[in-house]
Amino acid sequence: MKIKIKLALALAVAAAVALVGALASSASHGASPYKVAFIYVGPHNDGGWSQAHEQGRQYVQKALGSKVQTTYKENIAVGTQFNQTVASLAAQGYKMIFATSYGYITPAITQKYPNILFEQATGTYLAKNVAEYFGAAEDTVFLSGMAAGAASKTGKIGFVVAYPIPEVIRHANAFALGAQVTHPGATVRLVWTNSWFDPAKEKKAAQSLVAAGVDVLGQNVDSPATGQFAESMHIPWVGYDSNSSKFAPKSWLTASVYNWGPYYVKRIQAAMNGTWKQGFYYGSIKDGFTKLAAYGPGVTAATKAKIASYQTKIENGSYNEFAGPLYDQSGKLRVKKGVRMQVLTGGTNSLYGMNWLVKGVIGSPKG
Amino acid sequence: MNNSLLIVLIASGVAYGTPLLYAALGELLAERSGVLNLGVEGMMLVGAVTGFWTVQRFHTGSALVLAAGILVAAACGALMALIHAFLVITLRASQIVSGLALTIFAGAAGLSSYLGNDLKLADQPASHTFSAVFPASMQRWPVIGPIVLGQNVLVYISWGCVIAIWLYLSRTRPGLNVRSVGESPAAADTMGINVTAYRYAHTLAGGAFAGVAGATITLAITPQWVDGITGGAGWIAIALVIFAFWRPEFCLVGAYFFGALQALAPQLQARNISLGPTVLWTNALPYVMTIVVLVVVSSGTARSRLGAPEALGNPYSREER
Amino acid sequence: MRVTFERRLRQPRWLSLAVPVGSVVFAFFVAGLVLLVTGHNPLTTYRQVFDAAFLQTGSLNQTLIAATPLAFTGLAAAAAFRMKLFNIGAEGQMYIGAITGAAAGLYLGGRGGSSVFVIAAMVVMGFLGGTAWALIPGILRAFFKTNEILTSLLLNYVAGLLLTYLIFESESYWRETKGFNATVFPTGKPLPSSAVWPAWTIHLQGGITIPFGAMLAVAVAVVVWVLYKRTRFGFEAQVLGDSDRAARYSGVRVRRKILAVMALSGGIAGLAGASQVGDFSHSLDGDPNGLQKLGYGYTGIVIAALARYNPFAAVLVAFLMGGLENAGNTLQGANFPAGLVGVIQGIILFSALGGEVLIRHRVRIARTGHAKATGLETVS
Repeated sequence: MKIKIKLALALAVAAAVALVGALASSASHGASPYKVAFIYVGPHNDGGWSQAHEQGRQYVQKALGSKVQTTYKENIAVGTQFNQTVASLAAQGYKMIFATSYGYITPAITQKYPNILFEQATGTYLAKNVAEYFGAAEDTVFLSGMAAGAASKTGKIGFVVAYPIPEVIRHANAFALGAQVTHPGATVRLVWTNSWFDPAKEKKAAQSLVAAGVDVLGQNVDSPATGQFAESMHIPWVGYDSNSSKFAPKSWLTASVYNWGPYYVKRIQAAMNGTWKQGFYYGSIKDGFTKLAAYGPGVTAATKAKIASYQTKIENGSYNEFAGPLYDQSGKLRVKKGVRMQVLTGGTNSLYGMNWLVKGVIGSPKG
Repeated sequence: MNNSLLIVLIASGVAYGTPLLYAALGELLAERSGVLNLGVEGMMLVGAVTGFWTVQRFHTGSALVLAAGILVAAACGALMALIHAFLVITLRASQIVSGLALTIFAGAAGLSSYLGNDLKLADQPASHTFSAVFPASMQRWPVIGPIVLGQNVLVYISWGCVIAIWLYLSRTRPGLNVRSVGESPAAADTMGINVTAYRYAHTLAGGAFAGVAGATITLAITPQWVDGITGGAGWIAIALVIFAFWRPEFCLVGAYFFGALQALAPQLQARNISLGPTVLWTNALPYVMTIVVLVVVSSGTARSRLGAPEALGNPYSREER
Repeated sequence: MRVTFERRLRQPRWLSLAVPVGSVVFAFFVAGLVLLVTGHNPLTTYRQVFDAAFLQTGSLNQTLIAATPLAFTGLAAAAAFRMKLFNIGAEGQMYIGAITGAAAGLYLGGRGGSSVFVIAAMVVMGFLGGTAWALIPGILRAFFKTNEILTSLLLNYVAGLLLTYLIFESESYWRETKGFNATVFPTGKPLPSSAVWPAWTIHLQGGITIPFGAMLAVAVAVVVWVLYKRTRFGFEAQVLGDSDRAARYSGVRVRRKILAVMALSGGIAGLAGASQVGDFSHSLDGDPNGLQKLGYGYTGIVIAALARYNPFAAVLVAFLMGGLENAGNTLQGANFPAGLVGVIQGIILFSALGGEVLIRHRVRIARTGHAKATGLETVS
């Protein structure tokens, strides 16, 4: 008897749904603007990674105006939630999707929608309708490290990091190498938070670093909590991802920031023209992909000049911070003199595969 | 010496334990009257977001606006508790499911997130924050400098609350009444104590404290708004009430112990001390320790002597007495 | 005027159905008010929700994908809560089930076993993984009287840390180590093809794909129903749920029941994890921005409560909830308020709880002047 009631209920619900559906108008067809969607792994206003992409999206909307219709989805988990989101975007007529985190793009989903163009940030999978994009943030992180080294009196610098993966390790190394240019013998102490974005954990990490004796803080995580703590302790701070100087106006030095907008515009225009091709794009300072945020009051003119000179050398290719001789924490020579680490080739001696820390970094590359 | 691991841990314990303490004190009051409220996490988040909003929205003197923030947080926390109170006291619904529903409704990806988003509170620092009361020179005094003198006013007020609640429960008539309501509402009823009124009052008070706990996080500890910023503190607070044997003075000790535990992993990392075989062990430690203490505390003898209010979790209805 | 509640002796059947349905309607009404007050049009929003959940091409598929884990976690919660064992640990039990299920798939599938065998092994291992994890709070409750709410909840965090650790922080068996991509970013080892769970496509509305996990969930619902309604185990569990003392007096072995029910509940939650691996991700997903962000275990509690712990109702409600989750993803963005899903779920739950009152009690509104209720009134 009970089962019958459940069935009746199910039918009733289905009928109600169908009724409502019949009242619903069908989706609009043939809208002329080119529909592009951006998918963020965090909130669009996280003050960090996702916000930088959101700024890119707004740049696109402004640059291309009524020719495009952009939207974003935030807090989308990797896996089935991403797939669901793509499915609904496809149903709504979106033709291009920027997936702004590694792990989103799988062969299954891209093969399911061969007519949609996918671009993934920080990944390596390529297909007829899939491109990858990222950039040499390590160069600007290196430059921001120079600011940190210059601001440090003791040479002891702290760096709050997320996960022990090559991307983060590479940035930590770049930061340390930069600090050692302006402050020879500087050490960078790491504390891992095991999260990309967790203000409470980041503050605790920052506190522990200061208690261990550092006098400058930097980070490769997405919230400005480290900076707020630095401000309260009157010590200098290097941020990451975006200009968060409002969180620490006196402590702020600079940060490596991403400038996704111009790349997005270029790719969307190519897609609209039919000239889009799959590929692996690795941006740099030169093409405006990464840059340093505006300096805070604590950066001296001499430091600014020195950073500017290194930036010029990086841009014209005469200097690369990941060129040998590079030693790891145990003192072993890993990259021979004159050899430059490549992005993808070289195994653990490539930028994308780096799993060791350079000399002067204190902490474990395993987390 | 002030940077030694022990001192730093204790000082961190006090700072990070304060929201736990407020929330636990509130839950203690509710539970003493016989009402279990699992919605602490949700109430804390609503208090956190509304307190933060108040401070961002109004621009009078710092002390005034911060006080207003705390009051608004308390009021909103109490409002959330009112939903739970109505459901479980008047309508006699399941206290457990109702509390969980409150956490889902008000918590991360719920009302607090909705408000934070609609009011555009993300990605801005708090315009005013609670900072240390005593001057930096005093904070450098050995031992008591960082631990006692380096704290903000919310910490000191929490100490006052512990004392006040202790006095209330053990020395005042209403305090004794609420204890009997929690132990045996039927007996209290026959003695003319208004069970319903006491339960409502203490549940709402619990909500108010939880709201303040949330505001402590967004106005003092990490002065910004992020969805789900409390990160599970509400659950720890509920556990805390149990370890404290429902006594406010033990809530204080327990809260600071947990605060210190949360600060332990990064402190050890920064000093290159490895606590266990893997990073997993260090991260899981606070949770495992909480479970261990819970087990010890809940075991037979301890529970029977210093245990929970007898009627905790059960709705009271005169008709069914 | 006084409002009193009198306990009903019999609970009318129609009410048991009308109240949950009524509470959902009421909840949507209240949520609609919330939308209105904050400047969104409730009618268009709801129409968009139905569209996105059920009507658009392909949306049913996505709804089924979302509903599958929810059906398992809803059943897991229902199985335990029914006996007043508040297993809040379905989330963690799901992770552990994913770990053990993936292990079975990787190991046996790699050895070239037949698909049927491998998948059956994944189901069993997934179940056992969840069971093992649930037995921790179960044992602590049965033997040490420790509150299972807190222990099971805290273990969720530990399970999440373990899951992330296996993929992000170690070179474990589950982690992909071959190939360049693997060094760049941590991912799980892909399942061999024999370990991938099948799906069946019905040719309606452009093709509706029903994953094996969904069918497994329905089967589990049947098993749970039979267990609770037709076996002695179920009867004793029910007695225990209603009254600890009565159960003890009638010889029910309380400790064993607690362990058995927690094991069952945890095992079902473990199946949710195995299904995630076998049906959808085809590898162990340790990404903290992946499975761990979705809160399937917690939503299961909402489902169980709304379904009044009835297994079949739980599956149906899971389907509807899956639609709501799916719609939430579709609708969110610049125009749709974040956090609305949690608000609606909460209101539904509150309404369902409030509605419970009507099922259990008859409301009497008496004019003042009547004698004060002293328990001497007869209950009709």
